[in-house]
Amino acid sequence: MKRIYAVSLLALLLTFFYDATFAQNVTVSGKVSDATNGQPLVGVSVGVQGTSTGTQTDVNGNYKISAASNAQLTFTYVGYVTQTLAATGANLDVKLAPSVNDLQQVVVVGYGTQRKVDVTGSVATVKGEELAKQSSPNAVSALQGKVAGVNIVNSGAPGSSPRVTIRGTGTIYGNTNVLYVVDGVWYNDINFLNPADIDNISVLKDASSTAIYGIRASNGVIIVTTKRGRKGKNTINYNGYAGFQRVTNQVKMANATEYATAINELTVGNGGTAMFADPNSYGTGTDWYKQVLRSAFTTNHQVSLNGGSEKSDYNISLGLLNQDGIVETNSFKRYTLSISNNISPIKNLEVGVKLNGSYSRSRDINNSIFYQLYGAAPVVPVFNSNGTYGDPNDGSLGFRLGGGSNFNPQATIDFYNQRTERYQFTGNVFAQLTFLKDFKFRTSFGGEFTNGQNQNYTPVYRATLAQLATVSSLSRYRGETRNWIAENTLTYDKKIGDHKVTVLLGQTAQREQLYAYTLSAQNVPAGSENAYFSLGTPNTRNITDNGSTLNTFASYFARVNYNYKDKYLLNASIRRDGASQFYGSSTYTNLPSVGAGWVITQEDFMKDQQVFNTLKLRGSWGKVANAGVPFNITIPATTTSPALTAIFGPDQTPYVGTSINTIVPPLILIERSVGTDIGLEGALLDNRLSFDIDFYNRENQNAVFGIPVLRSLGTTGTVVGNQATIRNRGIEGVVTWRNNGKSDFKYSISGNLGYNQNKVLEVVSGSTPIYAGGSGLSNGALATRTVVGRPIGEFYGYQVAGIFQTAAEVSSSAQPTAKPGDFKYVDTNGDGLIDGRDRVVLGNPNPRFNYGVNTNFSYKDFDLTIDLQGVAGAEIYNTNLAYRFGNENFTKDFYDNRWRGAGTSNTYPSVNLGATNNAAPNSFYVSSAAYFRVRNLQLGYTLPSVIANKIKMQRVRLYANAQNAINVFGYKGFSPEVGGTPTNAGLDASVYPLFATYNFGLNVTF
Amino acid sequence: MKNIKHHIYKSVSVSLLAAATLVAPGCKKEFLNVPQQAQTPVAQFWRTADDATKAVNAAYANLRSWNNIAFAPIAVESLGSDDSEKGSSTNDATYLNFYDQFTVTSTEGQLLSFWEGEYQTINFANQVLDNVPGITMDDALKSRYLAEAKFIRAYAYFRLVRAFGDVPLRLNVPADPSVYNLPRSPKATVWAAIEKDLTDASAVLPQSYPTADVGRITKGAALALLAKVSMYQQKWSNVLNYTNQVMALGYSLLPNYEKVFRLENENSSESIFEIQCALIPGNAAASNSQYSQVQGVRGVAGGGWGFHVPTQDLANAYEAGDPRRSGTIIFRGTTTFEGDAIPAQGDNPMYNYKSYVPFSLWVSGFNEGAQQNVRVIRYSDVLLMNAEAANEQGNTAQALASLEMVRARARQGNANILPRVTTTDKTALRDAIWKERRVELAMEYDRYFDVIRQGRGAQVFGPKGWKANKNEVWPIPQNEIDLSGGVLTQNPGY
Repeated sequence: MKRIYAVSLLALLLTFFYDATFAQNVTVSGKVSDATNGQPLVGVSVGVQGTSTGTQTDVNGNYKISAASNAQLTFTYVGYVTQTLAATGANLDVKLAPSVNDLQQVVVVGYGTQRKVDVTGSVATVKGEELAKQSSPNAVSALQGKVAGVNIVNSGAPGSSPRVTIRGTGTIYGNTNVLYVVDGVWYNDINFLNPADIDNISVLKDASSTAIYGIRASNGVIIVTTKRGRKGKNTINYNGYAGFQRVTNQVKMANATEYATAINELTVGNGGTAMFADPNSYGTGTDWYKQVLRSAFTTNHQVSLNGGSEKSDYNISLGLLNQDGIVETNSFKRYTLSISNNISPIKNLEVGVKLNGSYSRSRDINNSIFYQLYGAAPVVPVFNSNGTYGDPNDGSLGFRLGGGSNFNPQATIDFYNQRTERYQFTGNVFAQLTFLKDFKFRTSFGGEFTNGQNQNYTPVYRATLAQLATVSSLSRYRGETRNWIAENTLTYDKKIGDHKVTVLLGQTAQREQLYAYTLSAQNVPAGSENAYFSLGTPNTRNITDNGSTLNTFASYFARVNYNYKDKYLLNASIRRDGASQFYGSSTYTNLPSVGAGWVITQEDFMKDQQVFNTLKLRGSWGKVANAGVPFNITIPATTTSPALTAIFGPDQTPYVGTSINTIVPPLILIERSVGTDIGLEGALLDNRLSFDIDFYNRENQNAVFGIPVLRSLGTTGTVVGNQATIRNRGIEGVVTWRNNGKSDFKYSISGNLGYNQNKVLEVVSGSTPIYAGGSGLSNGALATRTVVGRPIGEFYGYQVAGIFQTAAEVSSSAQPTAKPGDFKYVDTNGDGLIDGRDRVVLGNPNPRFNYGVNTNFSYKDFDLTIDLQGVAGAEIYNTNLAYRFGNENFTKDFYDNRWRGAGTSNTYPSVNLGATNNAAPNSFYVSSAAYFRVRNLQLGYTLPSVIANKIKMQRVRLYANAQNAINVFGYKGFSPEVGGTPTNAGLDASVYPLFATYNFGLNVTF
Repeated sequence: MKNIKHHIYKSVSVSLLAAATLVAPGCKKEFLNVPQQAQTPVAQFWRTADDATKAVNAAYANLRSWNNIAFAPIAVESLGSDDSEKGSSTNDATYLNFYDQFTVTSTEGQLLSFWEGEYQTINFANQVLDNVPGITMDDALKSRYLAEAKFIRAYAYFRLVRAFGDVPLRLNVPADPSVYNLPRSPKATVWAAIEKDLTDASAVLPQSYPTADVGRITKGAALALLAKVSMYQQKWSNVLNYTNQVMALGYSLLPNYEKVFRLENENSSESIFEIQCALIPGNAAASNSQYSQVQGVRGVAGGGWGFHVPTQDLANAYEAGDPRRSGTIIFRGTTTFEGDAIPAQGDNPMYNYKSYVPFSLWVSGFNEGAQQNVRVIRYSDVLLMNAEAANEQGNTAQALASLEMVRARARQGNANILPRVTTTDKTALRDAIWKERRVELAMEYDRYFDVIRQGRGAQVFGPKGWKANKNEVWPIPQNEIDLSGGVLTQNPGY
């Protein structure tokens, strides 16, 4: 309590002395132009140092500002070197030199901004324009390949968010989400943002940059600044594109004849009689993928109003995205509204509001559709000649397939009726007071209110034997998020001679609450499902509690930035975080950081060299933490799940049951991450070449996750605790070449590469490995292993030596129960039998290399962007192949290469690959996940301004865009890009197919 | 002017102060002490009679979990027998064949699933037994709850010891990690613990319950299980004694064998212990029994997956005209007594009639046959145990009388079938009783361990691959051995 009053009291006291310091004002006006060609510069920020007073140059480059007669005026403009000049007279014309040197640019860091050259940590920035060129509905998705060391795995479903990993995986059970800070408010996901509303993004990668965000920072921080109004100029801007998406790299499945042949082989091999008398009679049959997938249309519109006067500015933006999914019936619609308004009611005070509203709704697809498409039998027609659905299972077609090929996928999408709606309001209000020249006090309050629901209605229907409903049912899931964050910061910024000091003090309080429940009822008449649960049969109405969480955080932080002669830099920070999750045991955590920089080019001995324009060596160390562990994990709790409902009496009356089925750890500590970073950055050859190279080492200590316990305890399978230390170590670099020419042809090429090595340094279970990775595998098999000295979640299983060709070969082998055509495994321990002890490491799903090449070319009115991106040094496990219950289809590749008698194949097994021996995790299913893709291609043409002006427009640009147009990879599944939680990563289980997007777009500024 | 300005500054700073105090909770410790969400901490449980009731309810409910009544028991307790085989689609869940063919290795998933299911049951019972004694509540109800929990624990250990032999014996909720890793206790110790629990329970449990509580464990159930436990140990006088006690409790066989397994006859006068399952409208999650679903007729709506099907050998085992054959086996291409036509072209020639629920009773969104109770111990089982024990004890007359009660009901008044057994030769009578057990209790998860108990494993199952000194028990799940760091040992031969 005391601390807060102290701060606000200080603020209060200082304001009383306020008047005295701003006595005589002068009005300064002038023109700002480009030093190289004399062209006026529009929208240059002109500010009075030490105050929040500011303005911008108008269309003719003119400005007018009122300032104290002794004040220093700063002129900043993106892409130009900032100038600071004294307000000495009434007229001050300024010529700004273009800065092609990134190091001079201002970057957004935690709770402030810094010149890039002053930053001692690892911070990468991406401008809004760069993101806009991606035509991606999701801002994070557009970052793919743009930032070294950032791995982004896109999930294709409309409205979904990608998975982002910065510098490797450091947690297993904890929150793996990057922290997003949008205009000061904290989020787990920024799917609600329209990328066109983003002004810039900063990616904080090292612990010293993120330490100021403390307990939420251990997975890295992405700071998003949305657009605000530009003073002195009102513009209307329209951005729009339309295009379509289509599946690329489609996996070809066996056709009907091939399918029937394979199933006959399988059935006979398992001791049955052939199911299809004449496989050839089925021809090619149904191509289910072709039937259910489509070219999906997308349109996106955004209109924004932007402007401002000396005392206020505004930006209003409206967006509409209409995106169809590549599966028939799937669609996503998103409306976004973004309002930014800043007012300076009195000198030295600025108040502002940022508000983002979004509403989205989608018509969803049944998540099992991709699984069904893979298994669907091509011998089944979509529809019978009488119009009914082709039924794989009722015998009407002369066969009963059962198992995983029970479904007619067309019926699945036709009778799936789920709509998701989501309202989200976020934003903040702030007030910022500048006083005593060097002090700035800022207070802000922000929050998030989200209401999401999905409603599912199934009518009474009968499509096939396995796809029917005897009663109609209606369910509605609803989840609400209510978060708020309040922050107060005080900044002191002072330059005394060669010493420049910035001090930041801050305090934060946060509350995050989520609750969710599901309503359901049966026999709700079709057509009345929108409101009337009450029409359902009374005793079928049900409420399910989907859980709720409530977390609070209270934090204090301080940071000092010191700069001596622009040569020596020192930054240090500390944050003290209190978190409700750890209340009682270790409520507060202290997280310090320190960073130092040496700008070598400022040294006297570098004065005479001509090569380097800037060269800086920097190093940092910091501690951050991850509070994202389940709530009150150390408190043993009871479970009252529906499955524990007892039934007694002739009426089968349900009675609530409660039990304890988990073991909790006695104590849980916050996950800590300690990181060091050493970087070298510079610009040379007239700033045409710039580079940025980092070496980093990060150890996540006390990593929380569950270790399996003896099943004889009778509890659920794991006990959660602080079990491991995980290290990520790597090198990453960016090199950018940019021509400085004044010719019509301009270009820049930037390449980035990140190498990361993931390793588990210690685990509580000692040398006992932790097995996981069962998703999508048959019969409870586990495909990953996490063990000391190795990366998290490596694929682990049998090494295939070949295929058993004959019964004689089987009987003389270590696998006496195998059949000819089965995998022959390597008896690695040579004990004459194949068992769990023969398993070996089969691959690593954690990508070792991420790279990207981003280029921009322009010639006169044409511009071209080519972005390449890829991943190397990673493996993927194809679970689809062996996840079989019976008569699922096979891929064409498998069919063509399968073993079908002695000598036919020594790499592919027989069609019986779903059998236990063959489905066991083994090297056959693991392959390289490396890929290279042309991530983005965009060709634009800007109308000459003479023509644009004639049609009363300032600027008109047309473009064509292709995303993911070319993908190169050796993996034989749909996409090598699969996500997954840390110990379940890289398992391809019916992922959303990869698709390419082609768009045509228009940008108009009025 | 200056005054006005000053005024504004003042009000601004007041509002800043207000903003600062707004967030002042941030530095109060209480701000970080938020209540537990959506869960009751254990510290607030075990306080009232209601808590005791809920804990006992959970122990009952857990008996119908997937691990306890679906694939795992089919694999571990039935497929080894000559009565049943995997069924379903030839290419589906082929690993279940390993149990039929005795090629199971220790890593096979159903072993662990069975192990886990039984130990979950034991954990739920141990919670009641450790905590309910400390609750202040009606003493009679408390001791009944404890007795119910003891039965449930004993039932789980019975299934474990039968399947695995020596197993870790856990009779309390483990207080701390030092007692997590228990070695296997000798079979005899486990049997003794089971007998103690059942003896205690039978002394307390009521003979019957008021209507609302029907389905709870009775004195008869405890005695009947005690008899069975004794039979597996060849303690024939105990078997005779306990079965005689059960027979004095008023149970009776229903007139129609097939109807014993229908919904209208759940918890009937013939029923001694049933696992209670239900289709609870609007609550599919609580209607979680898959007992009937996994065995249901394949390829019809409202049927099921078609696993665990009768063998031709079983169909051939019935005496001519025995109505129990058509009350135990659903034949492809026939119509059930309840009027469901079974397609002639199905995957499997036969299905288990005893788990069958008429197709029209299925509600989509629910497991097929979710309402079907599992008949665990029926009165005819008690009669046949009585007959067997009497015969072993030399009481031929009682043996014949008890056996005849079973056959008489099966006859359903048709004097031309199932003639009365009259032999007084001990061996011949034993064979007759064993034969009767097979057909009377077919598909009820009894046959496999019954034959092993009778010492005829190699003789009956040998042709399928059963080997003496190995297949009397299944392997201990490898996963559990690994986690025990070698404290658990493997059964011989695996």
